[in-house]
Amino acid sequence: MTTGQGEEKRAGRVYAPDFLTELFRNPLDPGYADAAARRRDAPAPAGWRGSSARAVAAVVLAVVGFLFAVAYQETMADEPSRSQARAGLIAQIKQRESETDELSVRADRLREEVGRQRDAALSGSRAARLRNLEAGTGLGRVRGDGVVVELADAAPKDDDAVTGDSDVGPPRVYYSDLQKVANDLWATGAEAIAINGQRLTATSTIRSAGAAILVDFRPVTSPYKVTAIGPDTMRDDFEESRAAYLMRRVAETTGLSFRVRDAEDVTLPAAPEPRLRYAEPSVSPSPSPSGSAADTSTSPGPSGSGASPRPSGGVR
Amino acid sequence: MIAVLALLVGVVLGIYFDPTVPSALQPYLPIAVVAALDAVFGGVRAKLDRIFDDKQFVVSFISNVLVAGLIVYLGDQLGVGGQLSTGVVVVLGVRIFGNVAAIRRHLFRA
Repeated sequence: MTTGQGEEKRAGRVYAPDFLTELFRNPLDPGYADAAARRRDAPAPAGWRGSSARAVAAVVLAVVGFLFAVAYQETMADEPSRSQARAGLIAQIKQRESETDELSVRADRLREEVGRQRDAALSGSRAARLRNLEAGTGLGRVRGDGVVVELADAAPKDDDAVTGDSDVGPPRVYYSDLQKVANDLWATGAEAIAINGQRLTATSTIRSAGAAILVDFRPVTSPYKVTAIGPDTMRDDFEESRAAYLMRRVAETTGLSFRVRDAEDVTLPAAPEPRLRYAEPSVSPSPSPSGSAADTSTSPGPSGSGASPRPSGGVR
Repeated sequence: MIAVLALLVGVVLGIYFDPTVPSALQPYLPIAVVAALDAVFGGVRAKLDRIFDDKQFVVSFISNVLVAGLIVYLGDQLGVGGQLSTGVVVVLGVRIFGNVAAIRRHLFRA
């Protein structure tokens, strides 16, 4: 760069038409050109002034290097703390989950203990009626024959991995699919349903939270296994239901997997005790026989297992 | 040569002493780094243009860092610290790019 250009630029700078254009055209500090011009006019300062200026420049460069090192270390020190916090949170979640599992196992054990004690305390027919009610409402473990409906997300496609397109992932099972399947199972006569081992009760919810599906606020993941206990005709009836028809179509077009099979002698776990906060059991003033007549539409007794109150009792 | 040595000495000192930056100064560290980079690349380009000047380099470094820090500080007080530091980074970044392009032309004739 000649000093002539430098002079031109200096003259141009005063009336610089626009700052950004000037910045792009001339990124170098104009001071360097000025200094060079001055040096050409007057001889360079010799002796201690020249060398001290050089020493100061060296010190400044050392400061710059110091700054780089400090900034680098600062950034590196920040990074692990961030990932550490993340790992800590994940560990906390896992720990709480295992705590919850442990506690629910303990609750199940205690519930069975309570049931046993109650059976011992109550007379035979009343205990049997209570057991039937529990089984029907989902608060007691049940076993029997039924069907298993299996749904699973489609396998991830290779195309998506290449393009890295995370928005258009593989087709997934929606919470509404599980809802439809569960509803049609109730409709075809199921007496107990569990999704991935989560027993459904009258207050159960199947909801989506982001990408996850929550059954009774507990996450369930693909593959989903909806197990239902019901009459022998249930499989055929379900195969003809709207949910099965829809899911078969979806499975054909998107690659989801959907399968219905018979299951012999399956055991469904008990649901956790529902915590009723607003509804209170209304104790009828009349003696228990009339209350039981209102509860169970058919004859009470050990054979009344099918008469327990169910959301879809009337559909059958 | 002396310049590169001085830079290395600074890096070694920084690693050796491993100072902790007070949290009040932490937001200014990246800005100071960008300002220092601008001064360094400006100096290298001036050197290649054969118009390097020690005094100019020292003054430009100190004023760059101070002005950049001042702008960010002012922005923090006004509640627009993030935007103003973006502005500082853009302006200094453009200058760094221009100077690096000039250095590249000097070194590779391309």
